[in-house]
Amino acid sequence: MMRGLFLSILVPVLLRADARPALSGEERTNGEQVLKEVTPMLPEARSACAQVVDATGGVLASAVWVGADGYFLTKASETPEIEKGRIRWEAAKSAAIREIKRLPEHDLLLAQAVGVADVKPVVFDVASPLPEYGEWMAAPVKGGGEIRIGVISARARGIPGLGAAMGIRMDEKPGRSGVRVLSIAEDSPAGAAGLQGGDVILKIDGEAVADFKAVHESIKKRQPGDQVQVTYRRKDKVEVARVRLASRTRIMMNWEGEDFANGGISVRTDHFARVLQHDLPLSPEDMGGPLYDLRGRALGINIARVDRVTTFALPAGVFWKQVAPLIEADRHPPRAIRP
Amino acid sequence: MRSSLKHLFSRLLFCVGAAGVLSAGAVHGESEKVSYAELQKVQGRVRELFAKVRPAVVAIQIGNGTASGVVVNESGLVLTAAHVAETPGREVRVVLDDGRKVKGTTLGLDKTTDAALVQLHDTDRRWPFAEIGRTVVRVTPGDWCFALGHPGGFDKERGVVLRVGRVIRHTANSLQTDCVLMGGDSGGPLFNLRGEVIGIHSQIWEARDHNMHVSMAPFLRSWEEMKNSLVIRVWGTGSGGFLGASVDVNAAGRVEVLQVLEGSPAKTVGLLAGDVVESLDAREMRSVTQFSNAIRARAAGDEVMLKIQRGSSTQAIRVRLANRPKEDEG
Repeated sequence: MMRGLFLSILVPVLLRADARPALSGEERTNGEQVLKEVTPMLPEARSACAQVVDATGGVLASAVWVGADGYFLTKASETPEIEKGRIRWEAAKSAAIREIKRLPEHDLLLAQAVGVADVKPVVFDVASPLPEYGEWMAAPVKGGGEIRIGVISARARGIPGLGAAMGIRMDEKPGRSGVRVLSIAEDSPAGAAGLQGGDVILKIDGEAVADFKAVHESIKKRQPGDQVQVTYRRKDKVEVARVRLASRTRIMMNWEGEDFANGGISVRTDHFARVLQHDLPLSPEDMGGPLYDLRGRALGINIARVDRVTTFALPAGVFWKQVAPLIEADRHPPRAIRP
Repeated sequence: MRSSLKHLFSRLLFCVGAAGVLSAGAVHGESEKVSYAELQKVQGRVRELFAKVRPAVVAIQIGNGTASGVVVNESGLVLTAAHVAETPGREVRVVLDDGRKVKGTTLGLDKTTDAALVQLHDTDRRWPFAEIGRTVVRVTPGDWCFALGHPGGFDKERGVVLRVGRVIRHTANSLQTDCVLMGGDSGGPLFNLRGEVIGIHSQIWEARDHNMHVSMAPFLRSWEEMKNSLVIRVWGTGSGGFLGASVDVNAAGRVEVLQVLEGSPAKTVGLLAGDVVESLDAREMRSVTQFSNAIRARAAGDEVMLKIQRGSSTQAIRVRLANRPKEDEG
């Protein structure tokens, strides 16, 4: 658990006595008036963006086109079974998805939209130095429908990973069988999968767990975004829950719902070689989309919505050298050499 | 914690709805369109000022919590939020921009407006500091501004966190901006584009645009008292009188009393829910803002004449405004 953080929640009296008219919604930093000025300058930002949706049409993540023939990158940990879903762009178009490769070190997934030949891919800027404190950034949201702006708000840096977690507190005293769950974190993978305090965990992915250490070890070696099957006993019934793990950091920071993030946090928020941090008002579903500066240079991919003030983006230099050859290799699979 | 937040939210939504404040379609009058050139100018100015003011921004560790603050003079006086300091005379650990740790002591505070001072111990050192914006009225909705602070606590790798936005609202003691804040930012500075401190981060509400900062008004008003470690619990006469009635505009467009607080001047003179306030000192009342400002514009102890319509009768009621009670929220 973390230290207390000071910032209180608003008391209504402060809003009550207006001395002067307030700034209307359109005039705010991300209001229509400002965006109307910025959006026309970034046509590529919108056309390079798409959305990955699940079988029922729910948005899982954003995506960025990296090849005119339908190659795209998205956020791996938000798209576990991507081939069951579809990719959607320009409001009406959609296609089936072929998964090519997951890059767990970047939380990226390379895939292709099946039968697509005419999308407008991004051209990443890998040569320019990384943007610094105070530089305006822009990103498409809602699959390219709109643009948001903000600034680089902290130093570019690596984010260490503390592994994955379900968000449960366990009884350290061994029971007759299995491990008793004491409590569940707010907005946690365990809670989302239906686990409750009092449940007794018997197996993880079919393997019996004797004590809390066994559960801990089993979870620790996995990645945020991975799914595990948890077999548990509630009262006298044995049931199975599918839990999609999240970053340990994310769960510890938000154990009691302190985070207050407006629209949620990404499943994986850590373990990145290098990130840019910015203050754009984005949502977890916007992750996987491209990040631009106001000159229209594509600098990277938004990769994690972390909290109310923080979004991380991967600079293109971190992943593009790895991704470009994968696309080439997929386009031209090696043929058997003739004797 | 979560459940209490939820509770607070529903209460807040109710209160705000009743007061008709957030829904009031106030429009910012003569603003100009924001051009690309202006955004570029803002970027240039913010980057230049950020480098200059950054060394004055500190993290404050107190008890088990972490917050922010800003040094405002060479001898190490720090502005922060009252809910961070809590009481005068507490020792706090202060982390400077470069990660060095020093000590300080909380001085006075104004609990009603959330303003507080901290003195760093080594007063002979020439501390890097930021200037205070002394002309509080100059802060205008639409002004560009930037927030600095240590959300989540000091992190040397990350550094201080910058957010750029615009002033949304300027009230008697506070500012609202769209510079998004979170836990740990409390006490951190809001700067104008002249590099002056115009606000101290105080509170948030659920929406991303609901970021509240104490303006410099309470600091400047009670500067000497706070430096002398006094706890200011009631608003001085400068911040206006108190009636103790909440009002809203009714369907007929008139200012109607919703609720009368126990022990308030409004209660004493027999104001009732449902009364319509036709005028205050012969000035016709047409909006909640106008009424609320008229009360605040007068000092505690002043008498005002309210013309009230109750049912079909009209009556004049003379009422003496009081000081705001402790912990007053209405």
